Amino acid sequence: MAGFEILDPTVEPRKQPVTYVPRPDSLEGKRIGLVENTKFNSDKLLIKIGDLLKQEYGAAEYKLWRKHNASVPAHDEIIDEARRGVDCVVAGVGD
Amino acid sequence: MTTQLTSKRYAVEDPAHAIEFCYQQGWTDGLPVVPPTERAVGAMLDAAGLEPDKEVCFITNRQVAVSAEKVAVNAVMAGCLPEYMPVVVAAVEALADPKWGYHGPATSTGGAAVLMIVNGPIAERLSFNSGDNLFGPGWRANATTGRAVRLVMRNVIGTLPGLLDRGTVAHPGKYSYVIAENERESPWPPLHVQRGFKAEQSTVTVMSAEGPHQFYNQLSATAKGVLTSLCDDMKHHASTNGQPQYVVVLAGEHMRTIANDGWSKADIQKFVYENTQNSVAHLKRVERLAGAITPADETTLRSMAPSPEDVLVVAAGGRAGAFSCYIPGWAGGKKSSQSITKVIQERRA
Repeated sequence: MAGFEILDPTVEPRKQPVTYVPRPDSLEGKRIGLVENTKFNSDKLLIKIGDLLKQEYGAAEYKLWRKHNASVPAHDEIIDEARRGVDCVVAGVGD
Repeated sequence: MTTQLTSKRYAVEDPAHAIEFCYQQGWTDGLPVVPPTERAVGAMLDAAGLEPDKEVCFITNRQVAVSAEKVAVNAVMAGCLPEYMPVVVAAVEALADPKWGYHGPATSTGGAAVLMIVNGPIAERLSFNSGDNLFGPGWRANATTGRAVRLVMRNVIGTLPGLLDRGTVAHPGKYSYVIAENERESPWPPLHVQRGFKAEQSTVTVMSAEGPHQFYNQLSATAKGVLTSLCDDMKHHASTNGQPQYVVVLAGEHMRTIANDGWSKADIQKFVYENTQNSVAHLKRVERLAGAITPADETTLRSMAPSPEDVLVVAAGGRAGAFSCYIPGWAGGKKSSQSITKVIQERRA
């Protein structure tokens, strides 16, 4: 049987340059934003992290936000407030 | 089709080599695929009246544009007939709807599949099964259209099991999870008409969904009796207490029993909504809600879905047998994922 050609079913995702803002040398006096993903106990975990950042790393304060749910990005209000009111943000996905 | 196909091409020796090559590339769902030749892909596009570069949808969180060509390639691989292509396209369009919310149901440990419910004249014309062995094998349209959607998710959008598809146990509906409503025998308006479409339109409704949960009632000859069994089963299923929607699939015997009592779909929705509520105290006792039980918890009721309308009633399944089923939506709550109904455009200009 003669050979034939088949077509590739995949695509390459669109390339997006991602750059990180410079990391702070120290958290001393910094305002920390914490983004909670609504999973059970995630608020407790993040509050513990906030307390540790204050006690052990000298962070000035922290603020906790709650996303609408775990599957969506932080909504605009969180982004806006974070942009205006904090120096660093801790976010993560826990389950 | 007037535009050239732009997908990368691979030379293969024969069909068996092509099938094995697709396995090696990681392009399959574990089953063999039909080799996607230019001719087969062209026929798929022509049947839907689509140019290959037409953007079917854009998946924001993945930054992926899904072209008609890639949908067609995957539909060929899934084993679709060309005339199924408009159904696959409509379902893929629905996945990009923000209310469906691609990222959550595609990725979640909750293991949702894409349930597709086909309504309207196209269902019979393309021989979608709405009867015996409803979720089982044996019908090409049901087996391949859902498979095509899953292959698009895998190959185009990058929803790879173990990477961006992290279902903990998931379920076999992830291969294909497609039913039609039995509009010919149903005593009720079909789902798409309830949702504002015309009876003569054809639609596909997609819902992120757990597997079907079967229930049994051969004793009762009343609507209330049958649905009481359903509700007793449904209210105790140990899902996440956050289902945005449910589908209740009523098969032949139950459908006739309920209709003989004069119950409408709205009556069924109301009954199911009201009779599946659990007390907060119960949910705490069985460790499905956290916290100590308070006296108020004994009388505080929690519903399974946000409203009666979020219990979607579909008439489908075999004529014989006192079985029906319910299907919980994926667990994220209504802000995470809602069912979407799309018109199937059979031939575009």
